Amino acid sequence: MRYELLRISIPVAAAVFLFLATGPVPGATESLSVYLDGDYLRVNLPHLDFLKGKPLERLKDGATVIFNGQVKLTSSPNSLFPLAQTVASFAFSYDIWEERFSVTKLTQSREARRTWKHLSAQAAESLCLDNLLIDRSEVPPDRDFFVQLELRADDAKDQLGIIGDPGINITRFLTELFGRPPRSPQERVLFSSGPFRLSDLKKTEVRSVRG
Amino acid sequence: MPSPMLRFTRVRFAFIKAIPGLLLVSSLTLSAASQEFLHQAAETNVNSQYMIEAVSVGGVDVDQPVPHKLPKRLRERLKSLVGQRCDIATLEDFATEIRREMHFRNVSEHLSKGNAPDTVRVNFEVVRRDLFFDISLPKFLYHSKQGFSGELDASTHIRQNDITVGMVSNGDDLTERFTGITARFDSTPFGDLAGSDRMRLGLTFEDYHEQWNQATVNALPGSGLDLYRSRWSVAPQLVFKPANPVSVAIGASFGYLDSETPDVPGQAVNAGTLDVRYGHKIEGDSVQQEIEGRYSLRVATRALGSDYAYARHLVSVRYEARTGKHIMSDEFTGGSIDGRAPFFDRFVLGSSSTLQGWDRYEIDPLGGSRVVHNQMTYGHRVGQGTVEAFYDAGMLWQSNRGATLRHSLGAGFKQGIFIMAMAFPVRDGRIEPVFMCGMNY
Repeated sequence: MRYELLRISIPVAAAVFLFLATGPVPGATESLSVYLDGDYLRVNLPHLDFLKGKPLERLKDGATVIFNGQVKLTSSPNSLFPLAQTVASFAFSYDIWEERFSVTKLTQSREARRTWKHLSAQAAESLCLDNLLIDRSEVPPDRDFFVQLELRADDAKDQLGIIGDPGINITRFLTELFGRPPRSPQERVLFSSGPFRLSDLKKTEVRSVRG
Repeated sequence: MPSPMLRFTRVRFAFIKAIPGLLLVSSLTLSAASQEFLHQAAETNVNSQYMIEAVSVGGVDVDQPVPHKLPKRLRERLKSLVGQRCDIATLEDFATEIRREMHFRNVSEHLSKGNAPDTVRVNFEVVRRDLFFDISLPKFLYHSKQGFSGELDASTHIRQNDITVGMVSNGDDLTERFTGITARFDSTPFGDLAGSDRMRLGLTFEDYHEQWNQATVNALPGSGLDLYRSRWSVAPQLVFKPANPVSVAIGASFGYLDSETPDVPGQAVNAGTLDVRYGHKIEGDSVQQEIEGRYSLRVATRALGSDYAYARHLVSVRYEARTGKHIMSDEFTGGSIDGRAPFFDRFVLGSSSTLQGWDRYEIDPLGGSRVVHNQMTYGHRVGQGTVEAFYDAGMLWQSNRGATLRHSLGAGFKQGIFIMAMAFPVRDGRIEPVFMCGMNY
């Protein structure tokens, strides 16, 4: 009986591991506020604070740091399959003379990109939330749903050097895979809240069109 | 003629066989895509408005006369950044180049305020490697008919010398599949002196075991060719650049073939080698063009103690034009062998890069002594990658026999060094697709 866990087949164990690894952070005590703004569902978090730790250090060194944001509507708090979702990537940089932030919402087309400059840390963070919208038509009208917000710094820069002129550098790949410390909680913000129902959501006046 | 159901079954079977390769390539192309994405993001950096006041590597100013280990050209290019706009994407490219040249584990650019207003100082911070060697996969191919081909290398860098030891299994380039080990020593003997990168010495050792296709074994009697069980060779080479777009490699190759038949003595293959390459880029406002040419000669002679005597010539010319999202290219290859050459020097069509989709053993199970091949490719950039369509035409024949012109068509998707493609031989009423996926082939 005590060894029952060892008999779990590999796919089941992998699914359990994935579930545990991707589930919301239990320590996230602050709750999301969710509201309707015209044709869009928006989320808000009074004390959003993801510009810290290593990403902030890199920004203050003049580097560009990409934050990937995602808002998901799910049928249960830990569901892996969203009812609706929106994802966006934001390139942050820090003006080392002016000591203010700049944020660019990245798109496939360079012409469609939009940049905001001279921002405080708080304004830059809020700007990400303002650009994570879900179309009202995608929100389930007649059932409860949960909302998950995830923001994480993209660490893909570490992959540089794995793929290059000599092909795939396996040493570097293994070093990055096993030698790197686990992702700090500071580099990942994850909040979940709910249940909500569309008809109960607070409505505000229209602020802006989709950016 | 196969029935439609049989044709469908073949297509489906080819797809199923390609799945492992597709999974590997698709996972790796995601990494390549993210690099391109990062590069584009770097262009948005707000510090791009400032001018660079000074550049240093590991805290040492590149202007200082301290004996830097940086290659001279790289140091000069770093010095030329001073006074230019602070382009973060360019700095990231330099960080990558410094890491590659100096074999560091990591190099990252750090900006600080300059002494003058609106200027910045750039320092490339370096992290040394924990290990003194790298293991890499420089080439990999999955071919639904030929199976896997690949190479695994371990390399290290000591002063101006590169030492690489590798394992190879290749069922794509030659008539036979060859599996074994390679070792290579490369050196720039004149260190950081002016023009040192124009001259390089190399020494390559190869030791392979051969596996022969039954079609080759069946076609052998009466051909005058010999099968060998294994072969090894040692090849010293001197590479130099007499003028900038041209590089010349002069060398020799001393090898030995162990006969497949017991009691038959092995044979030496000793040859002189010459390789001339030309590459030129023309950057226009709307069209970028690239021309590459190559001529290689390999002369095996009894004067060098060789049991084989032959001369092998190979010429290839490639032209590529890019405009907007469109890429067009044409590559012509022609070759000739005079005399009796061993299998590994005979020409083959029906590989992952020539007459794609054809079975090489159907074209000629013994390879040929004459070859002409042309490949036309049209590509259209889609997102981070390129969708390609290609048309191959080629002939492979023996000097005393007639030649047949064959054609093949195909399409694929290319992203960075990764490519996956599907090709069909053009012939009467039969469709037998071939799937290929891999990198650097």
